[in-house]
Amino acid sequence: MEVSRLPLAPSQKAKLISAGYTIMSFHLFCLNSSYHCTDLNISDTEALEILKLASQSCRVDRLDGSHAIVNGAQTAWDMLHEEEFITRITTSSADLDNILGGGICCKEVTEIGGVPGIGKTQLGIQLAVNVQIPADRGGLEGKAIYIDTEGSFMVERASQIAEACIEDVLKNYVFQRKEYQACQDEMQPKTFLANIFYFRICSYTEQIALINYLDTFIAQHKDVGIAVHAMFVKVVILDSVTFHFRQDFDDLALRTRVLSGMALKLMKLAKKFSLAVVLLNQVTTKFVEGSFQLTLALGDSWSHSCTNRVILYWNGNERYAYIDKSPSLRSASTPYSVTVKGIRDAASHCKRIRMM
Amino acid sequence: MPPLKSLELKFPIIDSKFLQFCASNGIFSVEDFLVHDLYVLVAFAERQSNSKELKQGITQVLSIIDNQHQPWLNGVEMLEDAQQNKHVLSTGCEGIDLLLQGGLREGQLTELVGSSSSGKTQVCLQVASNVALEHGVMFLDTCNSFSPKRIACFINQLLNPSFKEDKQKILERIMSSILCHSVFDIFQLLDILHQLQFKLRSQVNTGDGEVRLLIIDSISSLITPFLGGSGAHGHSLMISTGYLLKKLAHEHNLAILVTNHTVGGVGGVPKPALGESWKSVPHVRLLLSRDRGSNMCNISILKHPCLASGRTERFMIYD
Repeated sequence: MEVSRLPLAPSQKAKLISAGYTIMSFHLFCLNSSYHCTDLNISDTEALEILKLASQSCRVDRLDGSHAIVNGAQTAWDMLHEEEFITRITTSSADLDNILGGGICCKEVTEIGGVPGIGKTQLGIQLAVNVQIPADRGGLEGKAIYIDTEGSFMVERASQIAEACIEDVLKNYVFQRKEYQACQDEMQPKTFLANIFYFRICSYTEQIALINYLDTFIAQHKDVGIAVHAMFVKVVILDSVTFHFRQDFDDLALRTRVLSGMALKLMKLAKKFSLAVVLLNQVTTKFVEGSFQLTLALGDSWSHSCTNRVILYWNGNERYAYIDKSPSLRSASTPYSVTVKGIRDAASHCKRIRMM
Repeated sequence: MPPLKSLELKFPIIDSKFLQFCASNGIFSVEDFLVHDLYVLVAFAERQSNSKELKQGITQVLSIIDNQHQPWLNGVEMLEDAQQNKHVLSTGCEGIDLLLQGGLREGQLTELVGSSSSGKTQVCLQVASNVALEHGVMFLDTCNSFSPKRIACFINQLLNPSFKEDKQKILERIMSSILCHSVFDIFQLLDILHQLQFKLRSQVNTGDGEVRLLIIDSISSLITPFLGGSGAHGHSLMISTGYLLKKLAHEHNLAILVTNHTVGGVGGVPKPALGESWKSVPHVRLLLSRDRGSNMCNISILKHPCLASGRTERFMIYD
C-alpha cells in the first residue's frame, strides 16, 4: 500500500517520503503514533489522521475474498437488466420525451443549455414537479432539489405548473368515482411544493459547499410519502451552473479545477443515489472556423462533464430542442412550447421529429 | 530513501559499528550511500580495524539497492515476448484497424483524444463489444456514459445472424465478460488498478476469458481537478498513474485505451488536454473528430512507436 496512493495533503506525503516511508503496511497501524511524530516532525493529530487513513485503505486491500476482479464492478449483462427498471422523468412534452428516449434518465447528468428566454428555468420547474407524479400514474414519486443561483425560481409559477400537472394526470386516467376523490385529495399543489427543496446560492463557494453537502442531505431526507412508499430525492436541478463562474473569476486555471471537481461530485451523486442531475447552462460566443458561433458557456473542459447534452434554440418563432451529446440516443431535434401550463408540445399542426 | 538504521532489523550485518562508520563519512540514508563515491568509501574501510565486516556491510547495502530495479532483458527475449504474448486486438471498426495495422496492441497504452461529442465513448463501447467476443474487458467509467443498450446493439451487429435461437445465451455470455466500474476520484482509480494488478498476479493463466483490455473513459476528467495550481502534486499523480498503467499493460499483456478531451490552443485550434508532460506517457495517441451533423468520423495518428504520424482514416459509427 504505497504512500502515493493515499489521499493525503501533498506536504504530509512529502514528509513521509523524504523520511523513507514509501509503503504503509497494516502493522504501522499498531505502532505508537508518537514515534512517528518525532521521526517525521509532524503534530500528534496529523500522525493519527495519517494512520487512520492508511488503516482504512489497508482494510480495503485485504478484502480479496470476492470472486469479482474488482470490488464493486458489475457486468454489462446485469446493467442491461437494471436499465429496464429505470423510470424516466417526463417533460410533459411527448415529442421531447421521444427524442430523450422517454424522458430525463436517472443515474445520468443531463446538461440543458440555451439562450436567455428559451425556457430553461421553465423546463427545470416542470421537471421538479413531474418527478413527484405517483408511481402508479407512471412517475417516479420522488422529491426534487432545486438549486437556484440566479433567483429565477418563482413559487407562483411552480404552483401554477403543479396544478396543471395534477389536472393532466387526473384527466389521463379513468377512475371510479371513489378513487378519483382519494387521488384528488392526495395530489394537491401544496404537497407538490412541499416536496421541492429549494436552495438559493449567492457565490461560487456556496455552490461548491452545497454540492459537497448534498450527499448527507439526500441520505437524510427520505420519508414515508403518498401511498406508504418511501420518497427519495430523485432529481437535482442546478439553475444555472454558470452564473457564479462567469464573472469575477480571475484565475481560469482555478475555475477549470473547481468545475471539474464539481462535475465529478455530481456524477458520483447521480450514480450513488440513482437520481437525475439536470444542469442548466448559459451560452456564449466562440470564434470557430472564422466566424462567431454560439456555444455553451464554461469552456471546452466543462463540455465533457455531462452524460447527455440538450441544446435549446430558436428556429424562426418556434422553440426547438436538439440532442447534442448522448451515449445512447440519436441526434435529433424537435419543437416544443412553453405555455401557461408549463412545457408542452408545439402547437403547430404538422408535428414531426427531424432525424439528423 | 529509508534511513540506514531501519535496515538494522532485517540485515544484522548492518550493525551499529557499520552505522558509525557510515555516519563518520556523512552517510545516513540509502540515498546518501548511492551518491557517495564507493571507491573512496571502500578505501576508507580498508584502513579500519574491522574492514572485513565493513566491506560485507557495503556489499549488503549494494545488493539491496540492486534488487530494486527490473531485471535486464536482451533484444531476443523482448522480440519473443512481443511475438508470443503481445497480440493485436481488433477494434471491430475497419477504419481504425486499417490505420493501426490490426488494432490495439497488448502491452501498449493508447490514448484517444477528441472534442466533445466526437464519438470517443462510442468507439470505446464498440471496441469493448468486439474484444468481449473472445476475451474479458474491464471498463472504468467516469461520466456515467456506459450504455449496456449500445453494447447489446454493437454485439448484435457483430454476431452471425444465423444463430437466432441461441442469441440470448450468446449475448449473456459476451456481456458477462464486460465488467464496468464507476470511478469518480483519482485515488479510487489507483486503488482499482492495484486491485486489478493483485488479481492478475495471483491468477493462473487461463487463456481465453481473462481480462485483455482495460478502458478508462475518461481519464482526463479524473486528473483535471488536480492539475495546475501552486503544487506539483497534480502532475505527480498524473505521471504516476500513467506509469502504473504502462506497467500493468506490459506485465500482464493488457491493451489499455484511455480517452482525453481537448482544450483551446494557440489560434483557436483545439489541442489535447492534460498538458505537455502527459504527451510522452501514452504509447499511441489518436485524434478523433466527427463531421458536423453526421456519423462519419475522422481518426488520425498523433504519435505511434512504429507508424508515421499524420495518417488518417475515415469510418462511420453505426446506429
